[in-house]
Amino acid sequence: MRVTIALAAVLLAAGCNNSVTPTEQLPPATPASTDANAGQWQMLVLSSATQIPVGPPTDAASDAYKAELASIKQAQAGLTDAQRETIAYWSGGAVLRWNQILREQVARFNLPPAPKPDGTYPAPSAANPFADPQFPFSNPPYAARAYSYVTVAQFEALKAAWAYKYQYNRPSPSKVDSGIQALMPAGDLPAYPSEDAVLSGVNEVLLKLLFPAAVDDINRLVGEQRTAILLGGKAAPSDIDAGVALGKAVAAVFQARAASDGMRSAIGTPAQWAAFVTATQARGEIPWQSLDSPSRPPMLPFFGQVKTWAMTPTDIVAERPQPPPSTSSEEMRQELADVKAGVANATREQVAIANKWSDGAGTYTPPGHWNDIAAEYVRDAHWSEVRAARAFALINMSLHDSAVGCWETKYFYYNPRPTNLDKSLKTSIGLPNFPSYTSGHSTFSAAAASVLGYLFPGDAAAFTAMSDEAGMSRFYSGIHYKADVQGGHDHGVRIAAYTIKFARGDGAN
Amino acid sequence: MRVSRTIRVSVAGLAAFLATALPAAAQLVDDSLMVERKALFGAVVYGHDSWDRYWEGTLERDNENVGTLTTQSVTWVANYGVLPRLNLIAALPYVSTEASGGTLQKQSGLQDLTLAAKYQVFDRGSFHGFATVAAGLPVSDYVFDVLPVAIGLHSKQLSGRFLLNYRRESGLFAEATAAYTFRSNVHLDRPAYYTDGQLVLSDEVEMSDVFDYTVRAGYRGRKLMAPVYYAQQRTLGGGDIRRQDLAFVSNKMNFSRVGAMVVYALPRPTNLAVRVEAARILDGRNVGKTTTVMAGLQYTLHF
Repeated sequence: MRVTIALAAVLLAAGCNNSVTPTEQLPPATPASTDANAGQWQMLVLSSATQIPVGPPTDAASDAYKAELASIKQAQAGLTDAQRETIAYWSGGAVLRWNQILREQVARFNLPPAPKPDGTYPAPSAANPFADPQFPFSNPPYAARAYSYVTVAQFEALKAAWAYKYQYNRPSPSKVDSGIQALMPAGDLPAYPSEDAVLSGVNEVLLKLLFPAAVDDINRLVGEQRTAILLGGKAAPSDIDAGVALGKAVAAVFQARAASDGMRSAIGTPAQWAAFVTATQARGEIPWQSLDSPSRPPMLPFFGQVKTWAMTPTDIVAERPQPPPSTSSEEMRQELADVKAGVANATREQVAIANKWSDGAGTYTPPGHWNDIAAEYVRDAHWSEVRAARAFALINMSLHDSAVGCWETKYFYYNPRPTNLDKSLKTSIGLPNFPSYTSGHSTFSAAAASVLGYLFPGDAAAFTAMSDEAGMSRFYSGIHYKADVQGGHDHGVRIAAYTIKFARGDGAN
Repeated sequence: MRVSRTIRVSVAGLAAFLATALPAAAQLVDDSLMVERKALFGAVVYGHDSWDRYWEGTLERDNENVGTLTTQSVTWVANYGVLPRLNLIAALPYVSTEASGGTLQKQSGLQDLTLAAKYQVFDRGSFHGFATVAAGLPVSDYVFDVLPVAIGLHSKQLSGRFLLNYRRESGLFAEATAAYTFRSNVHLDRPAYYTDGQLVLSDEVEMSDVFDYTVRAGYRGRKLMAPVYYAQQRTLGGGDIRRQDLAFVSNKMNFSRVGAMVVYALPRPTNLAVRVEAARILDGRNVGKTTTVMAGLQYTLHF
């Protein structure tokens, strides 16, 4: 009988394998403030909020606008369940929703090319994104850049939208005509041009640029978002058209920047890869070596030359960490012994920390992890869309600049991993395919935690604790020395200071 | 001692990426052998699984960063005859894995405890029917999000199985068995993961249920038992391993396998039997192309 009861209990437990409810739910967004002056906040890339012209909307009394309102009323009369779901999906704040979508695309494309039978690796090609290997390989530097382009462009486009919104002051359809239901919260924000449509325009252009093989998903999502804001009574067709046009035009400015930001040269050539080895040996140091089998070219060795957001190339060199201990030094022998003991004696809790922050192939990467952390704080702050966009822009500026600074450092020193110096050393997570010093995780995490601490001062200690844990996770897993972790952490803090300096003076405080 | 009273422990469940519904000795529940009332049978079985090729989705490939994956296990099994028609079974494997290539650490630990109740439903002439309920419970906090070196999938499992056996006086027999296994969701150490075309913002992973069946035929006599078998497992959901991605706990792990075993009762000491088994995965999806060999000792105690 007891056995029967025990088995029944297990049946109940095992039977509960229903679908998973994701965290980071986005209930209808209700901003506490509209941030009416955001059109005056400082620009980063655009020359001014009105660099892209947006003409005035048609008069509220015009027949054309009345016809638009009538079309909304008619559409609302026959809403399907699927349409109501789409409205609900896009009601939680489009900045947050597009951030989730961006993280998904990064995870989807974050896979290295498989080796060819001859032991070489094919390079992903933007001209042929659906091939094997798919394009892109959205590894951490690629991802950091992608997150930053999308979020900074969104921020710039929304500041421009805010300038026009308060210049033209056209209310949302449900405020103009009481026969139109406000199925999506619109607040008191003027509707022209639609901020949601601006975001759909930015994402349509930039996601297709960064993730061209996701074109079908992107087309579906932008279409659904535009439908949702119309059916939700939040924006009229002319609000949407103006928003999409503005968003696309701003995105085009960023597309042009991306074409000449140095990313195209970041992969390098076989001759350049070999030069890293000889230069390191010439300094009397043991060079890093790929431990992938077959040996894989180093990940984006010239990413350190890619254009940054808040720093100049001079700043990047000036902030480069001091050299790591020499590979022949007693200090390095001790560092290596510490790693070996650390990974061999790691507690289950430390292994869990290593797994929690692993963020390797097939994931949204460390920059994505920090977007994930930020999202719930931004949601719970009940900010306007433009202020939410500012938060993600600042975080991702610092993450991109960290990627550039950290990669510049990694390839300047070309320092070997612990597993290079001791072939018997095994790791608890996958080994990244680039030099050791400094730790990318530590740099990213310290930078993001600094910016988050600036945005949410009351939670600064929690962000610091997460950042420290992320850094140490690389030591626990056996892939980094403590010197990498400490050097990366300090570097990340210094890099974030440039972004925070911009933020303090951008007029949003 | 009659061989027909020994317990046959099929540890073929350790195949592949730990792919089977009830790994390791859980499959002792899938045979037609019953222990008499008040008898206790025990067995200790060593298993050795290895593969150097696997299926990435449906693409068969090798991977120098894994090299050859070897899984070794020692499984302790007990079966007690509560009633002439009711047996209670328990099994617990200690598992260790190691990849010859790449830098990933080897893993080891106690895996999942199996508890099962087997009941002989009918006995009509040459036909015998059995029903089994079995539960699988992870007994340690082993790391499962490190496939392919994980020692298990860490999902709680509950399966219902039916078996139909046909046996002739000559000792020739044939049988077929099928089971449906419910699996509980599992929780990762990380807050998000991508699988089956979706980024899931949760540490919780939905584990699809599993269906498996085996057909078996051979000889079963007083001193010797020697069947061959063919088995299939189907995971009723889950995604494929993407190109050059790592395997994931909820992947659709399917395979078909053939195997053969011999159990031989030693003349002395009485009540002791040796067993050997070999199996090979023929075709699969998101699993290793595994070759299994096993050897064990079985003993009987009468109270």
